[in-house]
Amino acid sequence: MIIDFIQQIFNGLVVGSIYTLIALGLTTIFGILGIAHFAHGSVAMFGGYLAFFLISTLGIGLLPSFILAMACGALLGVVLERVAYYPVRNAPPINSFIIALGLTLIIEKTNLLAFGVDQVIIPTPFNRVFSVGGVTMPELRVYVLLTAAVLVVGMTLLIQRTWIGMAVRAVAQNRSTAALMGINVNSVSMFVFALSSALGVAAGVLIGALFAVAPGVSEGLVVKGFAVLILGGLGSIPGAIVGGMVLGVTEAFAAAFISSGYKDVISFLLMIAVLLVRPEGLMRGKTR
Amino acid sequence: MLEVSNLRIGYGLAEVVHGVSFDVQAGECVSLIGPNGAGKSTILKAICGLLPAMGGEIRFEGQSILGLPGHRVAHRGISMCPEGRQMFPEMTVLENLQLGAYSRRREAIKDDIDEMMTLFPRLRERSGQLAGTLSGGEQEMVAIARALMARPRLCIFDEPSLGIAPRVVDEIEQTLLAIKARGVTILLVEQSVSMALRVADRAYVLEAGLIVLEGPSADLASNEGVQNAYLGY
Ligand SMILES: Nc1ncnc2c1ncn2[C@@H]1O[C@H](COP(=O)(O)OP(=O)(O)O)[C@@H](O)[C@H]1O
Ligand SMILES: [Mg+2]
Repeated sequence: MIIDFIQQIFNGLVVGSIYTLIALGLTTIFGILGIAHFAHGSVAMFGGYLAFFLISTLGIGLLPSFILAMACGALLGVVLERVAYYPVRNAPPINSFIIALGLTLIIEKTNLLAFGVDQVIIPTPFNRVFSVGGVTMPELRVYVLLTAAVLVVGMTLLIQRTWIGMAVRAVAQNRSTAALMGINVNSVSMFVFALSSALGVAAGVLIGALFAVAPGVSEGLVVKGFAVLILGGLGSIPGAIVGGMVLGVTEAFAAAFISSGYKDVISFLLMIAVLLVRPEGLMRGKTR
Repeated sequence: MLEVSNLRIGYGLAEVVHGVSFDVQAGECVSLIGPNGAGKSTILKAICGLLPAMGGEIRFEGQSILGLPGHRVAHRGISMCPEGRQMFPEMTVLENLQLGAYSRRREAIKDDIDEMMTLFPRLRERSGQLAGTLSGGEQEMVAIARALMARPRLCIFDEPSLGIAPRVVDEIEQTLLAIKARGVTILLVEQSVSMALRVADRAYVLEAGLIVLEGPSADLASNEGVQNAYLGY
């Protein structure tokens, strides 16, 4: 019983770490521009397809493909910010809302046109299965968790400890005063889109290795990402980390001990419960 | 050092500043006074690049800064201590001060922080506290110190005594005099006109978007119209 319990926590953390990667991007973009960037899930899937293409068609190695896909994701993020969101930065929020929906469709259909309708699984050489005290840990899952952890810690350090990170937080907390400090608010917006999209692509690649990249996955991903934001508190980085883990583990428990058919229902019941009891989120946007 | 000529500014189509000219010489402290809604903050925001002008010219150290975005104006050497203190509320006092030196982020700023903590000993005690949880007076000190962290050649203050406990207002006046004594050029907007005229060398009176009076502070302080309207004699 206790082994089952630990097993599900492990499974939940693996999936939760991917939710956290998605949510970190969404929360930073929301914090700085007030945009609900629905297209983020499609950007992640674009990254998954791209990594598959680099590995399978061009024969590039796994790690270089991963890094290259993240770099392309960063570039795509900058383009999205400049072309789609920058022109409506002073318009009413409904404009960016509609643009976000339109972008989602455009990227989703582009993925279909470029990569086809078939699902793809990113090939990895990690086939071993470790067993630690009765808990089954497939090598691949361990690496997914570690990769996500490194990226999350890296992003957090970047935001908390560097000048550019401080600039990001300043713009989120007081935009016009950030400009008075000499911060180029436009560059910060582009930087945030680049960083967030790179992390989104990383999540897409991890999903592609763990499950599959396929049409339709992105919607579920972006909905889960926003669920994490609600759990953790909008704009909060610690909230995205804790929220992602809570959501992942809740799903794993629901799937294992109730029914895998109900795991989404149960995670959304959890979200509604949090909205009712702690509408400010579990972590209450302390450090933005 | 700063020359504003025939500056017109508005919000949308409504012009609220109708052709204002004034100047601040290097080393001087100049005050802009006038009733609420006269357009003082609007002028300061236009100088700092936060609002576009409808016409006129703003020159700083001989070069036009009209139309430059806010961060470029800051890099030219103009600092602003904005109305309402405008903290980064979820950052610590120390981080707020560091952000003040953002345009000098490649230099060592530790000594500057130390200097500010000496100028405002209370900030040293509070350096790890989130700025949003400070009292109004303490936030004003953070805002002033943050503006000075940039080592500006021109430092602009917008109503530093607004909404501050009277006891702390004296402290702020002393601080402004100390900053002036260091040779920082100052443009001061202040609702407490008596304080403004004590601190500034010269002043301009702005009413409904137009300058109606100007002169050395001592002359304005003895002007009957100014006394009746602003000094409450
Ligand atoms: N964001 C704004 N949008 C529209 N009108 C504004 C805005 N800010 C200020 N105003 C108007 O501009 C005029 C000048 O305001 P302001 O510069 O804040 O005055 P002061 O600082 O002298 O009290 C006022 O009539 C005010 O109502
Ligand atoms: Mg004002």
